[in-house]
Amino acid sequence: MIRIFVGAFLAAVFVGGLGIIALAAGGSRSLNSYLILASLLFAIGMFGFLARRNAISMLMSIELMLNAVNLSIVAFGGFVKGLGASGSVIALMVMAVAAAEATVGLAIIIAIYRNKKTPLVDEYDAMSQ
Amino acid sequence: MAIGTTIPFTTIPWDDALFVVFAGTMLLAAILVVTMKDIIRCGLAMMVCFGALAGIYVIIGAPLVAAAEVLVYIGAISVLVLFAIMLTQTKDAPASLVFQTQAIPAALAAVLLAVVTILAIVATDWHALAERVATNTTELAKKLFSDWVLPFEIVGVLLLAAVVGGVFLAKRERGHDGEREGGQFR
Repeated sequence: MIRIFVGAFLAAVFVGGLGIIALAAGGSRSLNSYLILASLLFAIGMFGFLARRNAISMLMSIELMLNAVNLSIVAFGGFVKGLGASGSVIALMVMAVAAAEATVGLAIIIAIYRNKKTPLVDEYDAMSQ
Repeated sequence: MAIGTTIPFTTIPWDDALFVVFAGTMLLAAILVVTMKDIIRCGLAMMVCFGALAGIYVIIGAPLVAAAEVLVYIGAISVLVLFAIMLTQTKDAPASLVFQTQAIPAALAAVLLAVVTILAIVATDWHALAERVATNTTELAKKLFSDWVLPFEIVGVLLLAAVVGGVFLAKRERGHDGEREGGQFR
């Protein structure tokens, strides 16, 4: 119970600090705040990809990184006048490619799991034996 | 009933407040995705993260992208990931260690990347750019089927190839050694 309260308090502090940073960067009317948000999301995804042991966690981190890039594309599409609707079109293409990547990646993980009986990538050492 | 452009009794605009709430939710959920121990909860936090991201797309003014985000990511990819988790997690696997041995260098690299990127963003002068404009969905449809029709078709072929490849890769080889566990979901 106390952990829930501490977690809620930390989340509130986090959101408040983020709000101050966002308003300093220009709020929702400036391109900067969206790009900073996208770079933070990309960094979180990169950390997850490099640090997790589970193959499916790594795939989820890749999805986070793809979404960060997509966010920056949509932000540029909303702010650059010459781009118009093309930004959204490119974002939809990226989503389709991400769906294809997730399908094939999860199929590969399931195929490896069938042979090695573990989802942990640091035990996938068949090439070194 | 009109609610105005700012939160009542304050001068904070609604879209700034919503942006902060969605951005905070998204970043918190993303941090939970990469740090939580129980991988099913990671998958559920990923759904929360994508939902908040769809809200941010609405704030930018790209409603079709937000709808596609909800349909593709929350609807399809998250369910795919959850099914893959259910197929691959074993109780006897040593799940106590969440991170690899190089987690601290990875964290340093991620922080460094974020700092460098944010410095580059802040140092660049974006003043030549226009105001935020909402994307017209009719214009988007016209562009998708005129200027972008070749990439659209290629993406269709790519999706077909991905479906065929996924079925081929995940298919159980017949008569391999007769084991049955996990195969009946497919």
